[in-house]
Amino acid sequence: MNPARPVMRAAPPNDGFVTPVTRFFKRNQTALTPVLLLSPALLTMLFVVAIPLAFSLYTSLTPYRLTRPESIEIFVGARNYMRLLSNDDFWEAFLRTILFLAIALNVEFVLGLGIALLINKITWGQRTLRTIMMFPMMFSPILVGFQFKFIFNDNIGILNNALQSLGITDRAIPWLVDGKLAMFSIIFAEVWMSTSVFAILLLAGLFAMPRDPLEAAKVDGCNAWQTFRHITLPFIMPFAFIAMTIRSLDVARAYDIVAVMTDGGPAGRTELLWTMIARVGYENARMGQANAMAYISTILSIAFTYYFFTKLVAARRYMGGAE
Amino acid sequence: MAGISLQNVVKKYGRLEVVHGINLDIEHNEFVVLVGPSGCGKSTTLRMIAGLEDISDGDIAIGDQVVNDLPPRKRNISMVFQNYALYPHMNVRENLGFGLKIAGQSKDAIEQRVQEAADILGLSELLERIPAELSGGQRQRVAMGRAIVRHPEAFLFDEPLSNLDAKLRVQMRTEIKKLHNKVKTTVVYVTHDQVEAMTLADRIVVMKDGYIEQVGTPMEVFSHPVNTFVASFIGSPPMNLIPARITSGMAEFRDGKKIPVPSRLAEDVTEGQEIIFGIRPDDLTPIGHGIHEARETTDIDLTVDLAELLGTETLLYTSFAGQEVQGKMFDPRNVTPGETLTFRLSLDKAHIFDAASGQSVRRL
Amino acid sequence: MSRDLKKRLRAAGLWVTTFVLMVIMCVPGLWVVLSGFRPNREILAKPPVWVPEELTLSNFGKIFGFGAEQVAIPVLSYFWNSMVIAMTSTLIALIIGMAGGYAFARFRFRFKNAWFLGLMLFRAVPGIALSLPVFMLWSRLGLIDTQMGLIIVYVSLNVPFTIWLIDGFFRQIPMSLSEAAQVDGCTRWQAFWKIEFPLARSGIAAAGVFAFLTSWNEFALASQLTRSTDSKTLPVGLMDFTAQFTIDWAGMCAMAVIIIVPALILTFLVQKHLIAGLTFGGVKG
Repeated sequence: MNPARPVMRAAPPNDGFVTPVTRFFKRNQTALTPVLLLSPALLTMLFVVAIPLAFSLYTSLTPYRLTRPESIEIFVGARNYMRLLSNDDFWEAFLRTILFLAIALNVEFVLGLGIALLINKITWGQRTLRTIMMFPMMFSPILVGFQFKFIFNDNIGILNNALQSLGITDRAIPWLVDGKLAMFSIIFAEVWMSTSVFAILLLAGLFAMPRDPLEAAKVDGCNAWQTFRHITLPFIMPFAFIAMTIRSLDVARAYDIVAVMTDGGPAGRTELLWTMIARVGYENARMGQANAMAYISTILSIAFTYYFFTKLVAARRYMGGAE
Repeated sequence: MAGISLQNVVKKYGRLEVVHGINLDIEHNEFVVLVGPSGCGKSTTLRMIAGLEDISDGDIAIGDQVVNDLPPRKRNISMVFQNYALYPHMNVRENLGFGLKIAGQSKDAIEQRVQEAADILGLSELLERIPAELSGGQRQRVAMGRAIVRHPEAFLFDEPLSNLDAKLRVQMRTEIKKLHNKVKTTVVYVTHDQVEAMTLADRIVVMKDGYIEQVGTPMEVFSHPVNTFVASFIGSPPMNLIPARITSGMAEFRDGKKIPVPSRLAEDVTEGQEIIFGIRPDDLTPIGHGIHEARETTDIDLTVDLAELLGTETLLYTSFAGQEVQGKMFDPRNVTPGETLTFRLSLDKAHIFDAASGQSVRRL
Repeated sequence: MSRDLKKRLRAAGLWVTTFVLMVIMCVPGLWVVLSGFRPNREILAKPPVWVPEELTLSNFGKIFGFGAEQVAIPVLSYFWNSMVIAMTSTLIALIIGMAGGYAFARFRFRFKNAWFLGLMLFRAVPGIALSLPVFMLWSRLGLIDTQMGLIIVYVSLNVPFTIWLIDGFFRQIPMSLSEAAQVDGCTRWQAFWKIEFPLARSGIAAAGVFAFLTSWNEFALASQLTRSTDSKTLPVGLMDFTAQFTIDWAGMCAMAVIIIVPALILTFLVQKHLIAGLTFGGVKG
């Protein structure tokens, strides 16, 4: 036998006895570690989100009112939901919320893309411009709401003051008092706050874009629009999906803006699902009904996020193939 | 004394088994190269030796100690990674001394060992730089320095040269070989490049799909490949492998052409056996343009489809028995495509594999 | 038209558009900040006073309770509450998020993507919707109107996003660095603290700023879970001004400045990492 061949011997005892059990744990250490590492996160989510949501679901099946604590024990099945489905105010708020999101997200995307392309074209001062763009991102939504309440104020707002001083109009425009204008105003505030998310991420996408495919497209005879449509846009789409996903995680923060700007008014013309939940739940103390609504809005938000997240994953895979 | 021994080592990811019970004994101070195509399990095997992957079954011993359940830090090995894995936030000196510092060595001892390693590798001028300020070759050297500074029982190299350009790769290859001569230690080196394997190894381990195909010195593996995979993987350009059948002591090809079975293999084949006939391009040369005198030869006329000038030799692409076959012309002259030449085939160097199993028919 | 002129016109157009956009982005905020330093009568003046005739710190004095004219709004308590709640919840969220992010970045386990998505979806629950059951549960647990009550909620709000960002930062660090450190004699724990943590530090700081901003700016939950100076935060306090009969614009603007300044400073400190974190975390998954 070869003299250099090592002689097999068990590990010395200072490393613990190697019994089948310890061996199992040692070998499965890598399988147990992630569970251990993730457990604080999962426990937090369980206690602060999952359990409350379950409680919320239960409450939505009762006629619970804060003023009558015993009413939480009465089970009424889907009555709250049925009432909501036959309630015109709810449907109006629901559809208005969808419309609000559809308009806001689309405008934010298009504007953000425009700004990103613009800044990408500019040869100097890019960093400064990008920093300025981050300005609205750090604003508290409640602050954005207040700020535009201040600006759109029909009496002392800078906007009306400016319009009147410039002679464009001689009467005060009731930005937050007229239903349609109020809706425009809250969408404007929302777009102002969130366009930067798109602009910054799309700009990062443009910065990361390799030159070769663009040059190849030029050689292949694409004009500027075709190049943009078939090369640039597909490349930056994953970045758009990140922005969409991030946005969809907290679309409901528009509640803060609306709460301070119009609080659903005038006459319910800017009532969104979220302001309605607050009104029914806290002002009218009808928790059962409010929880039913909250559940619907939660499902809506989750569906949004899920949709964009899967889009993001798909886009990522597709990008992976190109690299 | 620190050899490394693998006994029936198995690696599974879930239900997928990627290394199937391999056995390997690496001797003290031996330079062993694991070579094979990507996905053959060579890197996994190396990482199991390092302790970076758990082994699913079997035993690994370093020296005379079974290390199956020991974490990497207790195995007294060092490793050079494909991307060098230099710590970006430390300068070269700190990178080299990191392992010693963790081990709780005194400042003076660390300084001395770092200086010693830096001298060996010519890094003395670079000690204060951070990795981002180094060239590829310098980073490679620092990675090796980090490995030798701890005087480990074994060095593990995981494709250390694959991130370098061709010229630097050759240079670093020589340096690794010199380093091994200077710092005598057991080395396990993983690569997919058979040239690296041939030039560096004391012994080559050819792997494929989680199995060891052949273990031997570079010469053995090159001259006596045990199967068609090793035959085609080792050597460049690869060996020509042509299917044939044994009829009355001759290898009869698909198109009816016949070549005599080399006399040294005559005993090993049976009448009617389906075989693969193997011949390296170096052993199929136009008459007068070979490099060695073979005792047993046969001549065939082949038409050249394409000639590639490489300088000292020309690579000739021809068709034989319905497939492309490469020959070589040493001391070349101009060859025009379409020209027919008489090639001399060195039967001494021909190989015969069983068609069904792919194994060499040569009995050891 | 000469080519040169055309080029110049285009460049000019580009600049004008950019300039207008930047004005729209900056002016509303700047106007509020500016108004924070103007006396109320100037803000309310008709016809409007465009160029401030007088800049004053009296609005701040007023809301902080200094000077003759006082407003019965305990801004100092709000500021203190906001700081304590945002800092504490950020710190806890970072620790939890670091563990979770590391697990996602470095380990293979079953249903990994599903776990990740699940965490994200939890984050998507609208604040106001979540506030209802949390309000009911917290009342029973006696957590209403306590800093602790809000801290717990904010931790859960921040954990998913923190994990997303930190996962992205750890992924950028080659796994072989930690492996090299382990071969060099480190335990996995040592390898993390000596190698991976220092390299991801700036990214983790960025994630921390995000978490801080979320907590600092949150309103929907805070407005329902807080009642008094024990726990009311600045965004909730801002509503105190509107609750009164006449809106004290100058006071609100001054308070807005107080809310925005810490956010501003923090964001500028780590802005580079914020963008990198968002994009790498997302794209290079």
